[in-house]
Amino acid sequence: MAFAWKAAGFTYNRYISVASRVVRRSLKEEKRIGAERRGESDLRFAKWENGKQGENKNLNTANEAAASEAAHSS
Amino acid sequence: MMLSRAVRPALRAGTAAAARPAALNATNAATYATLREIEGRLKSIRNIEKITKTMKIVASTKLTRAQKAMTESRSYGQTSNTVFEKAETKPLEGEGKKTLFVICSSDKGLCGGIHSGMSRMTRKLLAEKPDADVAVLGEKCKAQLSRSNGKNFVLSFAGIGKDVPTFADAAAISDQILMLPTDYASIQIIYNKFLNAQSYEPVAIEAFSEEAISQSPNFAAFEIDDEVLGNLREYALANSLYWALAEGHACEQSARRNAMDNASKNAGDMINKFQILFNRTRQAVITGELVEIITGAAASAEG
Repeated sequence: MAFAWKAAGFTYNRYISVASRVVRRSLKEEKRIGAERRGESDLRFAKWENGKQGENKNLNTANEAAASEAAHSS
Repeated sequence: MMLSRAVRPALRAGTAAAARPAALNATNAATYATLREIEGRLKSIRNIEKITKTMKIVASTKLTRAQKAMTESRSYGQTSNTVFEKAETKPLEGEGKKTLFVICSSDKGLCGGIHSGMSRMTRKLLAEKPDADVAVLGEKCKAQLSRSNGKNFVLSFAGIGKDVPTFADAAAISDQILMLPTDYASIQIIYNKFLNAQSYEPVAIEAFSEEAISQSPNFAAFEIDDEVLGNLREYALANSLYWALAEGHACEQSARRNAMDNASKNAGDMINKFQILFNRTRQAVITGELVEIITGAAASAEG
């Protein structure tokens, strides 16, 4: 397997979001503020089963949890 | 014959005469109250007009930003779609293939019928494919669809539409969608397509599964390894979602601008109407008072 991040349980989208965060942080101060606003995401989500809404959870923390779980299982 | 014809107008006049004094009495008895009532309503309508005007201005400024984001995101979506066009990828057909509908609405209302238009389209699509699953982005369509198609729901996302959608949003959503236990043969993203500032229409774009991509006729021309195919699929889904979200956001802002424009216009009409009514009633009250004074004076002078 050629991809270290895949072995760590990352999806491609997660990989590029981490990569883009690094690029944004290395920008100069005045450009960085605008660029970092483009990388923000604050969503909540809920799973549904049989027409019932489940618990509302923060999307980013859930994705991180899923990534670490995938890393442990593989 | 003559008699009946003669009677009829009289009858009509009779009923009209019967109706008129009653109405007159009612207004006369409550003249002072209605004057104040009209004033109150006038004030509240003026306030509403102010609010809708401000909301319109806010929506207009947001619209320019949203449109900029939309044109930028379009290049993302279209570039990633060119791959599939050139590879002539087709959605997989057949029995037992699960479909997922991703509906891109937002959390906020007060923007005309864009959410209900999308819900209607989803219901139509679900009527054709009753076993398809639904993932909803945004509270508005969730509320509308959960009443009729709650059984089909698998995921719902909230917090969309506060600001211009970012790619990070789209990437996180697509990750969560791909983490679903079911393997979907086709994912259809339903969003409002931005035609111009006045009009929009709900359309669906296709996000292909790995199987569909690898089976497309011109797939070999790209020389994609099987290993990276999954990555391509994930990235393409995020791209399409980002495109759909940005375009939906632009539609929402333009629809809100139009809705608020209409609301301000209606409020202006109502203000005119009530102003005239207010002036008339005021004059009527003054005249009534004058008549009372004069008759009173005349009566006391006679006596």
